[in-house]
Amino acid sequence: MNRRQFFKTTGGASILACSGMSSLLIDMHAFQEKANLSKVEALFYKKHPDREIECVLCPRFCKLGDKERGYCGVRENIGGTYYTLVYGKACSIHVDPIEKKPLFHFLPKSQALSIATAGCNVNCKFCQNWEISQVRPEQIHHIDFPPDSVVKSAKKNNCPVIAYTYSEPIVFYEYMVDTSKEARKKGIKNVVITGGHINPEPLEKLIEVVDSIKIDLKAFSQKFYTNYVRGELQPVLEAIKIVATSNVWLEIVYLVIPTLNDSTKEIRKMCKWILREVGPDIPLHFSRFHPMYLMKNLPPTPISTLIKVRDIALEEGIHYVYIGNVPGHMAENTFCPNCKKIVIERRGYQIQKNNLKDGRCKYCNHIIPGVWT
Amino acid sequence: MRCQIYGIGLNSICCLANLDIDLNEEYFLTVMSRSKVVIIKAKGVLTRDEVNQKKLIHMFNRGLCILTGQRNLKESLRILFNERDRVGIKINTLSGKMLSTRPEIPLSLAKFLEDCGIHQKNIIIWDRTNRELKNAKYRININRNSIKILGTDTQGVGYNSKLISHLNIGSLFSSIQSDFITSSISLAVLKDHGLAGVTASMKNYFGAIHNPNKYHDSNCNPFVAELFDTIYIKKKHKISILDGLIVQYHRGPSYHSKWAEKCETLIFGLDPVAADFVGWQIIEKLRAKHGIPSLKEEKREPIYLKTAEKMRLGKANMDEIEIIEEEI
Repeated sequence: MNRRQFFKTTGGASILACSGMSSLLIDMHAFQEKANLSKVEALFYKKHPDREIECVLCPRFCKLGDKERGYCGVRENIGGTYYTLVYGKACSIHVDPIEKKPLFHFLPKSQALSIATAGCNVNCKFCQNWEISQVRPEQIHHIDFPPDSVVKSAKKNNCPVIAYTYSEPIVFYEYMVDTSKEARKKGIKNVVITGGHINPEPLEKLIEVVDSIKIDLKAFSQKFYTNYVRGELQPVLEAIKIVATSNVWLEIVYLVIPTLNDSTKEIRKMCKWILREVGPDIPLHFSRFHPMYLMKNLPPTPISTLIKVRDIALEEGIHYVYIGNVPGHMAENTFCPNCKKIVIERRGYQIQKNNLKDGRCKYCNHIIPGVWT
Repeated sequence: MRCQIYGIGLNSICCLANLDIDLNEEYFLTVMSRSKVVIIKAKGVLTRDEVNQKKLIHMFNRGLCILTGQRNLKESLRILFNERDRVGIKINTLSGKMLSTRPEIPLSLAKFLEDCGIHQKNIIIWDRTNRELKNAKYRININRNSIKILGTDTQGVGYNSKLISHLNIGSLFSSIQSDFITSSISLAVLKDHGLAGVTASMKNYFGAIHNPNKYHDSNCNPFVAELFDTIYIKKKHKISILDGLIVQYHRGPSYHSKWAEKCETLIFGLDPVAADFVGWQIIEKLRAKHGIPSLKEEKREPIYLKTAEKMRLGKANMDEIEIIEEEI
């Protein structure tokens, strides 16, 4: 594009363009001039001398000087006090079916008011939501949506569930916890969709106010976490164990990426670990990868690979193994592990048939674990 | 001999500049020869937080003339920039008034650029946000026909929507860096950094991307080097200038008066790695002088400089850097 063409297309609207600069200027990525960020003191950090702080919310343990932000980009040390900048600052708000999370054993067919703020405490190269998770709050549009407004909105939209999702809710921990408390008062349930990269103490506090957590186990090797997630595997495994032994309903999602985390050996090892540590009844979803963000060089996961890894999990003895991101696949259904009949039939995010009766298979009376009412 | 080597190289650059040919190859050859870094000290340039303009101009004059082997400031800048260039002066205003690039420095530099034939509308002094610029005592100027002073967050500026993926880097670039400018000056504050070890002209470009918080692991290595190696920086970067009027030698990057020393120094280098390497040595000397362990002992030496050297971005080895120090 030459200068003349540029002016034709942009009308010379921007400041730089006014100077005759050929550029493609994207306002949507401009900061807000007077960014309307929150300044609410963060939970889970330590104060150190010389206005330094250490964040202990997640396993990164960011040590920050004055005016510095954590890896998440949404928590800042201001004069020796650590603040969350995204409290009540939602950048995404939608009403989704709970199946989209995916949570398959938690109030099927219910609608979840789903919210997110900017920020994430890892940097997955395959992130599907990087435009909100990998930016700072000033860089995207957000609205003031304090906890009581979230709850009112859920009520108004007939949503029995609020989902903290899309980016990484751990980084908006204070907002999530306060909203969850408000929601509970009104009989609304709370679900958290997370990578599980959180320290035990804040997780245990979170568990007290939420009803279900879906954890993305992104691989079963530290090497993958180092190279493609920029995080640690072990804390995620610890988080899975903590949630599994609590009263909060847990489901696990594993995004299968061709050549990177789809080896038979790794999948089998992971399944054995799940069986040993959290038992056979935690639903395990194998999701199909689509090229995104910094990983556009790989093809979508072949369906055959998803079938293969599901078979491994079933062979190992996991009862509820699903295939995700493949609408219409038979592995979207819930099968009774006893009589092998379909107890919940799904197509995409839609429930076609529900053959559960009081949490049991209507054909053989086998208990199907989950939160059904 | 030294002058001859540089003389040949820079005359060639000059010819190329007149022909408006991409300087990058020649620049690359220049930095890969023995790298020259010029340290200019001027006692009294900073008095009670006021910059002595006359002394500052003298510092620039000497620094750039020694660096380029030219007779005066105008000639020095003319071998680095041509009249049609759009020049970005990337400053660092993260740490407020006390420890940001002092406004007098980029404003003087902008004036020199104008004097050497670059139209003032094609000069921009910039950083991430207008808030940080204002806190560092800059007056925002978005006037189309004058020297601009603004942040990437200015309405109508923002980030280029093209995600640049290069080695371990995946970032959106400020459209100032990606689209507006053709040549870049990194005018950084020299200071200690709790994670990177040292922040200077290379790390200054963290302020040119939307997600610098993602690149502070493992002492910012290899991220500082890999970011510099991206197309929007390596091809446009022309000169590193380090503001060492006050050097924060410990507990940086934020300002702590008890570990900040008035050094009244500017450092000039065409080789960004060498300039930053020399800046690091200055910080180490100050730490030693005040009985503070070295960055290596604190396990936060700026290893990204070695990575940068391996990537052939410049020299991080004292044997291959020629330091010329002058006090005026």
